[in-house]
This record gives sequence, structure tokens and C-alpha cells, in this order.
Amino acid sequence: MNILEISDLTVRFGGLTAVNAVSLDIPAKEIVSVIGPNGAGKTTLFNAITGIYDPTSGAIRFNGQEARRPFRWTTALALALIGFVSGLSLVLIANVEPLWDTSITSNYVYEQAFLWSKAFSAASGYFSESPGQHFAVPFLIGGLIGLAGAFAIWQRTRRAPEVAARAGIARTFQNIRLFNQMTALDNVLLGMDSQLRTRVWHAALRLPLYWRERDESARQAMDILRFVDLDREANQLAENLSYGHQRRLEIARALAMQPRLLLLDEPAAGMNPAETQELMKLIHDIRERGITVLLIEHHMQVVMGISDRIAVLDHGEKIAAGTPPEVRNNPRVVEAYLGKTYEDPPPT
Amino acid sequence: MSGSEIFLQQLIIGLSNGMIIALIALGYTMVYGIIELINFAHGDLFMLGSFAALTVVGVLGLDHLAAGAPGMWLGLFLMLLIVPVFCGGLNWLADRFAYRHLRDSTKLAPLVSAIGLSFVFMNIGLLWGGVPMNVFSLGRSAASPKDFPALVSNANLLGQSAVEFTTKDLMVFVVTLPLMVLLTWFVKGTRSGKAMRAVAQDRLAARLMGIPVDRVIGQTFLIGGALAGVASVVSSVYNNTIYFQMGYRAGMDAFTAAVLGGIGSLPGAVLGGLVIGLARAMCDQYLETRWTNVLVFTVLILVLVFRPQGLLGSRAKEKV
Amino acid sequence: MAARPRILFHWSFLIVAALIPLIELLLPGHPHVGDLLRPIFIMAMLGLGLNILTGFTGQLNLGVAAFMAVGAYSYAILTCDIYPFRLGFWSATALTVLVGLTVGLFLGLPTIRLRGDYLAIVTLGFGEIVEDVLKNLDSITKGTQGINPLPSPSWFGYHFRAETYQPWYYLFLAFLAVLVLLNRNLQRSRVGRAWISIREDELASSCMGVNPMKMKLLAFALGAAQCSLAGALWASYLGSSGEPGNYDFQVSIIALCIVIVGGMGNIGGVLLGALVIMGFNSIVLETVTNFLKAHQIISSSNVFTSPGSWKYMMYGLALILMMRFRPEGLLPSRQFKAEAHPDQPHSPPTS
Repeated sequence: MNILEISDLTVRFGGLTAVNAVSLDIPAKEIVSVIGPNGAGKTTLFNAITGIYDPTSGAIRFNGQEARRPFRWTTALALALIGFVSGLSLVLIANVEPLWDTSITSNYVYEQAFLWSKAFSAASGYFSESPGQHFAVPFLIGGLIGLAGAFAIWQRTRRAPEVAARAGIARTFQNIRLFNQMTALDNVLLGMDSQLRTRVWHAALRLPLYWRERDESARQAMDILRFVDLDREANQLAENLSYGHQRRLEIARALAMQPRLLLLDEPAAGMNPAETQELMKLIHDIRERGITVLLIEHHMQVVMGISDRIAVLDHGEKIAAGTPPEVRNNPRVVEAYLGKTYEDPPPT
Repeated sequence: MSGSEIFLQQLIIGLSNGMIIALIALGYTMVYGIIELINFAHGDLFMLGSFAALTVVGVLGLDHLAAGAPGMWLGLFLMLLIVPVFCGGLNWLADRFAYRHLRDSTKLAPLVSAIGLSFVFMNIGLLWGGVPMNVFSLGRSAASPKDFPALVSNANLLGQSAVEFTTKDLMVFVVTLPLMVLLTWFVKGTRSGKAMRAVAQDRLAARLMGIPVDRVIGQTFLIGGALAGVASVVSSVYNNTIYFQMGYRAGMDAFTAAVLGGIGSLPGAVLGGLVIGLARAMCDQYLETRWTNVLVFTVLILVLVFRPQGLLGSRAKEKV
Repeated sequence: MAARPRILFHWSFLIVAALIPLIELLLPGHPHVGDLLRPIFIMAMLGLGLNILTGFTGQLNLGVAAFMAVGAYSYAILTCDIYPFRLGFWSATALTVLVGLTVGLFLGLPTIRLRGDYLAIVTLGFGEIVEDVLKNLDSITKGTQGINPLPSPSWFGYHFRAETYQPWYYLFLAFLAVLVLLNRNLQRSRVGRAWISIREDELASSCMGVNPMKMKLLAFALGAAQCSLAGALWASYLGSSGEPGNYDFQVSIIALCIVIVGGMGNIGGVLLGALVIMGFNSIVLETVTNFLKAHQIISSSNVFTSPGSWKYMMYGLALILMMRFRPEGLLPSRQFKAEAHPDQPHSPPTS
């Protein structure tokens, strides 16, 4: 069963085609590496999967569905509601002075009880006077603008990173993007954010749910830190951690999302051999927890050592895919990394 | 006046004012294009230019001349020389002392600095109104609006027609149109212009190519400021009144124009300026003057919701 | 986040403020210094409203005065005799907060997605629009006259009066304390954490499942509600809605100065900022002006010698200089200080 299906994906930036008609299937619970020379489009591929870029064409299906906000009946309802409210608002705005006059000011006699029914009938009278001009026109204009505007905004935010994240795709970044001024623990807690149920009023009023969840989430966060062996650094500011620890913290933060698919962007960059070994073990442990891992890596030892499958990109195109031995011996792959052999020596 | 005559008249007024707004919008859009900063102080720079223009009038004694006298044209020419230099220089100083060191800091810092500068400029305008010169009512009631003498006559160039296209309107177009052509040539045809476009596209790459980025940015501020200076002279002569809080209105109109046309796009700024000028004129005539500012704000919101890249801008995807 | 052992500024501020009227009673002559502190409380509330959006989430709102105006006028319409609603203090205030929340939502929904500088200009424009609208709808808002008189609040039979300031003082202080508590609770919770992550790195935050638009909109609306509350309290004390010109750009900038000078993202910083800025505005400037007037240095026709005409410049310079030399503010939140000086090492909080 494929957890991720990339079909004919193309991502273009103006004149630059970063990813060109790439198709790739990632089976669940496997460790798949994406390799290729620099500029091959690997990070762009990751960004498209996680919703940062919109595909120019092609599709990405996660668990059979595209990771974008679906148009459900609740969406239609919300849009209609916004349209209705903006229509009413425009009616009120366009008529506020005369409406206020007829319904409130004319009916209000100081010190006497105010008859709301009279005000209401005066208001309806005002509208029935010329329903077209007073009510229908502004309501339609306002409603249309509201509806169209809400739809335009909704459409523009359909494919957003948080949609992919909540669907179950987590990631780390090529250049570490931790929340530097937060502690390691807070970074992990932030990763758990989408699963927390504390809302504004729970937090503001310190209701019991706030306290329960605070302790529970802190416990879970410490568990995750323990899993990546960073529990002793829990209260350190993220920026004060060593480079290797920062990389592991990013992974811990991603794991806090309880993802089904984890994307690691060059996790072994800058690591010494000992750290690399630990990383490979960590990735195995992650797979043991049932999480599919997709990684971009240049470190061949890691790639060959842990991958079930490898895909090779060059200049935005997939040039090879298969098991590590298959890929290692593929002449196109060798050529992409090492270049062609010349019959004659290159001209001086 | 008949209905179509009223419409034509508003068209002329709208286009004239629109050209002024366009000039200010050009300054906004040039600075935004190059360092992605909305120069909040730009509108107030325009206001200071007006005060500088009035000072030139006072110093040269132009307020004693009859409109249309030959000395007046010389005076106008001098204003168009002095005030843009003043405004351009002031804008350059603003970049040098308020923005430059904040280039790589948090996103908020240059914005806050620009707001602060806007307030400083506004206060300078207030104090300027208290200068003991005749043109400033001898410094009494510094805060109230000042009259700008009628240097260019209101004579209708269309003779007896009900629709008026006056010498003032002509002046607006005579000054602004060649200037825009000059600007386009500068940006497209000269090395400096090319350097500006390069810095606007990719600052690091431009630096790596040996372009003196800070100097180019300073130049952009200079030119943008000079444009605001020209606009302030034209606007003062056209509208015959200045006040120290006019920077806010001018800035809002110009910003809306720049966004409408597509921020970062020079032709967009001109198009936006004309549209806003026309919209204001039409709203003043056919709706009510008191709602014109609300209309401009509504236009801004609508553009930002439905087409944030503006009419002539392109949707650039940011590479992460 | 670990709690720090030392007493935090915002609590000390509130405690000291609570004691001032009592101390005054003990001093001979009963000086009414406390009277001057009330505008500080109101502006502090405004600052807190701005701080939620600007300090926590890093977005600039240049139109907080507009929300204050909305609050003041809503309260006035709901309580004044000339209109049929005639609600009491508590119901009017509660409704006003709701109105502020709604207006914040209305403005925020289409605009919160915009880049920081665009949002700043939009809120700036909104500030002017509200002022314009209030002026234009003068049959309802009574234009420059304002809606008045408003009845003073009464609690359990006790009527607040304009002459005795102490009950007003404690009422405002109580509201301020509640706001401080609520803001602090939000800051140290999942909500505050999400906000701060958005300010630090919005993209990474959204990749972790946080919905930046929703959180920013929340901050915007909550800030608007707080500013409206400040407006309502101000109107109730004034006994009038005030006139539209009272809620102009200058007020928004003062609020911005309070947050910037005091310390962005730090509640104690906002209180300090309010003390410094309003103290300067109301107390120092007043004293200097009176001094100069007494010695006849000021003449009303000379704008250069009256301290009031240098106000804009001082606020403007305060902002520019703060950004140049101490962008984190006088009392920085630990996090923002580190953001502002990325190349200096920082120590973690004591656990």
C-alpha cells in the first residue's frame, strides 16, 4: 500500500522548471531516499509534498487524497454565511442614518419606555418603502463581494503547509529552522500543537483542561526527547544546543506531530561518523514505530545503509529508482554524479 | 452644465490630481521594489516639499506677483529645481540614518523606524508653519492650513466652454508626463537604472556582481524623493493650499495607487494613480465628498483581497 | 515554560499602584498624584491590546485608536439617555467588548493574510476611516459634540462621582489587573507558544501544524476587544463618548511607543512603557508647559516655544532611536531581546 503517490509532478518558477514530470510511489513503512546532485529539485519536491509550493501540474496523493483543504458542505455553508453577513452589513451601512432615524430617534421619547415593536415596524416600513434600493441592491452587492472574497481567500489557502501537517506529514529543514529562542521542550511542545485541545478560554481562565493537558503534554514531550536522547537538554534554549543536537531536536519536533510520513531534509549534514551511526539507528527506530521515512541525503553511507528504496533526481527529472544495489550500478546515476568519461582529454 | 459636461470636467480634475498621486506613488513603488519597505514617511516628505515650495515663494517674493506674470514662470522653474533636490536629499538622509542599519534586522524594525520618521517630518511641518514669514501668516497659528498663492492662472484654455481645461491642468501634464518618460528611460536605459533593477531582484547577487548596493539604494531614495518633490510643487500650485497633516492623505492615496497598479511596477504606479485620481473625482461629484476617503480605503481592501499583485503586477512565487 | 523566582515587574507595578491612594491618605495635604495615573492605566490597557498582536505575533496594528473609539462610542450609545438602550455599566461594558471583538474580526478576516507592512498600512487606513465615519454619521454620533452626558456607574447603590477619584482609580486598576492576568495566562500557554512561534518563523510554524492565519486573527480580534474595553472605561469616566478627533493617529502612535519603548511581547514592559510615555506626556510636558507659562516664556503665537508642539517629534524620535539602539525595549521579553541581537549569546531561563 502506497502512503504517498506522486504522479507526473511539475513545479515551475517563472522560467525555471525545478521539478519536471516526476512520478514516485512511496510504500508505507519503508525508508526511501531521494538523492541527486545539488539543484536537482529534491528540496523543491519536499516543499511541494508539504504544501509550501503549489504544483504547476501533476498530483500528490497522501493516503489516496490530495493534501489540500477539501470543499465540504461545511465550507459552502461558511462561505454562504460570510456572504449573507456581508450583504446584511452593506445594507446596514448604506442605510444607517435614515434607518436609525426612523426606527430609533423618531420613536424615542425621553423618559418614556421605548417600544421595540414600534421600532421594528418602523424599520420594516422603511425597507418596504423601496425594497429594491434600500435592501435588495446593497444586499446583493455586499453578499456577492463577501462570497467572492471569502472564496478567493479560501482558494488561495487551500494548499497550505498546515494542511499537509495535519494530514500526517512532518518534516525537517535543510537549514535548521528551530524556534531558537524557545527551549528544546517548548519546540517539541509546539510540534504537538495540532493535537492539543486547549483553547483560548481554557488557557485564559486556567480551566482544569489547561492544567491536565499541560502536564500530559509535558510528559509526552519528555518521552519524545528521551527517544532522541535529548532529555537532558530539555530546558536549554534551542540556539544554544550543539549542531548535532539541533538536528535531533528538529526530528523530535517533527515526531511530536505523530506523523505517518516523515520527511528528513539532509539530516546527516555536518555530522561526524559517530553521530551518523546514531542517526541511522534513530531512523530505524522511527520506522519501527510505523512511520514511513522519506529522506534527502548526500551522505552515501547513510543512503546505502538504511534505504529500502532510492530515487535519483537530476535537473528536476527522475533518472533512476530502485533498491540500493540497483541504483548504485545504474550508469545514468554514475554519470549524473561523476560526469561522462571523455574519449580524449578535455581541451586545455 | 449638462450631465456629460459635468462628467468631462470631473474627468479632467481626476486626471490632473491622478498624475500628482501617480508621481508620489512612483516614489513609493521604487523604494518598495528595491528594499521591500513601505516608506511610511513618503507622504510626509511630500508635505515637507510643499512647505519648501511655499518658502521659495516667500523668499523670492512670488506672492506679490500676479498670476501669469513672466517672473512667475521663472519662479515656478526655480521651485521645480530646488524642491525636488530638497526632497530627494531628505529622503536620501532618511535612508542613511533611519533605514540603512536596519536592512537585515527583524521585519518590524524598519517599519517602526519609518513610522517614527513620519512623525518627525509631520512635526517639522507643524513648526515650519510657525516661521515668521508672510507666506506663513507671520508664524501665527502654525497648525492651520496655509494658502498657496495662485501662481498659475485659472484661465480656461478651452475658451468659453463650460468644461474647463485650465492653464493649471496644462501645467500638471507638462511637468509630469516628460518626467515619467525620463524616469522610464533612466530605469531601462542607463547603467544606474539597470543596477537598481538588479538590486531589486536579488540583493546578494547584485553585491556579488560588484554593484555598490547601499549606494544604489541611496540613489533610489534620492530619485523617489525628488519625484515626491515635483509632485509637491505641482500639487501646491494646483490646489492652492497646504497643511502639515496632508502627508497622511497623500500617502494613503499614493499607496493605494501603487498597490492597485502593482507594487514594484512603475507603469502600475502611474495607472494606479490615474485610477485613484479619477475615483476620487467621481466620488466627490456623484456620491458625497465625505465618503471619498472611505471609498479609497475600500478599493485598497478589495485589491488586496482579490488581486494582491495589482493590475500590472505578476504573482511571484517566493522560493523558500 | 519555567516560572522565574524573582517578582515580575507587572505584579510589582500593580501592587504599588494599588497602594498609592492609600499612601496618599496618610500624607499631609492628600496629594492627588493618583489622579494622574488613571490615563496611564487606560493607555496601558490599550498597550496590552496592541501587544497581543504586535508583541506576541509580530504584526503591526497602527489603528488601535479606532478600536478604542469603537468602544467609547458603543458604550456611549448603549448608556446615554438620548438613546433607548440605557444599559447599566456592566452590561454595556460586556456588550462593548463583544462589539470590539466583532469589528476586529470584520477587519481581520480579509486582511490578516497580508504581509506585515501591508497590514500596517491597512490598519492605519482603518484608523482614519473610523474617525471619518464617526464624524460623518453625526446624527448618531453627535459629531464633535460627542454623546453625553453618560450616567456614572453604580455598584450596589454606590454612585461613582467625578469628584472623588479613588473609586475610579481602583475600578480601572482592577480591570487592568484582570487584563494583565488574562494576557499572561495566554502567553504562558499553548496559545502564546503558537503566537511566538509564528513571530519567530511563520513558515516552520505552519509546517508543524499551527494555522498562522487563525492564530493571527485571534490575536487581532482579542487585541481589538481589549482596546474597545479601554475606550468604554474611558468614556464612562469622561461621562462622554468624546469627539472623533480624540481617537486619532496620535493615540495609536502613543500606544505603539508604549509597546516599543516598554518592551515588545513583555507584559511588564507594556506597563513600564505606559508609565514612561504617559508620564512624560501628561506629567512632564504639563509641568514644563506650566512652568514656561508662569515665567512667560511661552506665547500662544510662537509655536517653537510651546512644548506641546514638539510632541510628534519626540514620539517619532523615540521610535527611531529605540529601533537603532534598543529594539527590544526597556524591559525586554527574554525572547525578543535575543531576536533583536542575533549575534550575542543568551542564557536560558533559570528552571
